[in-house]
Amino acid sequence: MLPTLFYLDAMVNIENISISFGNLTLFRELDLQVCCGESVCICGGSGSGKTSLLKAILGFVPLSEGTIKVDGTVLTPKTVDHIRKKIAWVPQELALPSEWVSEMVRMPFELKVNREAGFSKERLMEYFISLGLEAELYDKRVNEVSGGQRQRIMLAVTALLDKPLLIVDEPTSALDPESCLRVINFFKSLCSKGMTILSVSHDKQFASGCDKVFTL
Amino acid sequence: MGTIDIDYGSLGIGLLLMLIPVYFLWRFKTGLLKPVLIGTVRMTVQLFLIGAYLRFLFEWNNPFINFLWVVIMVGVAAETALTRTRLKRSILMIPISIGFFVTVVLVGLYFLGFVLKLDNIFSAQYFIPVFGIIMGNMLGVNVIGLNTYYAGLHREQQLYYYLLGNGATRNEAIAPFVRQALIKAFSPGIANMAVTGLVALPGTMIGQILGGSSPHVAIKYQIMIVVITVVASILSLMMTIFLASRKSFDSYGRLLQVHKDTKRR
Repeated sequence: MLPTLFYLDAMVNIENISISFGNLTLFRELDLQVCCGESVCICGGSGSGKTSLLKAILGFVPLSEGTIKVDGTVLTPKTVDHIRKKIAWVPQELALPSEWVSEMVRMPFELKVNREAGFSKERLMEYFISLGLEAELYDKRVNEVSGGQRQRIMLAVTALLDKPLLIVDEPTSALDPESCLRVINFFKSLCSKGMTILSVSHDKQFASGCDKVFTL
Repeated sequence: MGTIDIDYGSLGIGLLLMLIPVYFLWRFKTGLLKPVLIGTVRMTVQLFLIGAYLRFLFEWNNPFINFLWVVIMVGVAAETALTRTRLKRSILMIPISIGFFVTVVLVGLYFLGFVLKLDNIFSAQYFIPVFGIIMGNMLGVNVIGLNTYYAGLHREQQLYYYLLGNGATRNEAIAPFVRQALIKAFSPGIANMAVTGLVALPGTMIGQILGGSSPHVAIKYQIMIVVITVVASILSLMMTIFLASRKSFDSYGRLLQVHKDTKRR
């Protein structure tokens, strides 16, 4: 168990940010704090800016105003690469151009930053079991795997990256309630090891399993 | 052994052969009749014009004028690449000009200086055709490579951002698209290399044999021409992509609008 102080540090600190695209303002003066080891779910209607908020933390969407800090570092062009090294990210409906699942799961481990974490098939298989995935999926073609299975496979890969912050867009959009529960428990086990999880979801069941829910 | 000249009357007789493709293209309503006629006329006029200015270049045989010709050709090639890729001038013009110029000078002079060991490496007889063939190949490869690279980035943005969002460096994030560009641009050339001389005799070799060289000399030139064009093409493409990439992304690594605005037809 990690010391209490660990949980009090903010992993993500969003201060007074606004995001606009041309004349369209998604939201104004938003504040949000996500503490280390916490699981926070952002909810809200379609077009409210949930995904844009996640992308803003990654530096993919420009801010009209305000600041974002990740692990105490203010997001700027100079720090963005450093911040991204601390993040594992799963976008919504991720479709990577790999033919085989075994290729797809290794892709992020080919990056210099992730070589230290190293790919371990044994650990991946443990995560597969936690998420209710069969081991045989590893040797299948990507097009033989369902959307829900692919979603959970990428969650397992992302956990394997051992990053302090996990950002996930709609992790349960293609899952049944039983699989959703597995994802909730999986995230809880990751948080208990000190990982911080920030997600976006429409799924009430999933949101209720997170430590905090933030509505946009 | 000199080359037999083709007088204008004979050239006209030779051009009559074009009536055969013209007939079939017209007979089967391919829609290619007008393009083939325009193409033939353009080719003839352009080659006569090139012949006219090459005559002067060979007569003057001046290193400065030859270099000026390279600079002009680089400009023309860059303009052609801009038109064929539809990329914005602000993104492509300087990178492709630098990529072409640096590569053609490095590879061309290496060949003339270290392989042919010429006393005068700026001699128009060698300088002009060697630099010309290098530039022609570089242009084709760069157009295919750049189109593939930017089309890939645009189509598979999710992959680019996925890699970047999981800690990739900028170069790591563009690597899959550079790979695609290299494969698309070089696969036909590599396939041709493997069958050179088996299926068809290559142009440089034929030109030399018609010009009076022995086949033994001609094949050595052909080998070197293939080598320098491949080297120059890959070098210029890599240089252009990496220089253009500096202007294709913002300071956060977000892909900018790289193509010229085009109205939907």
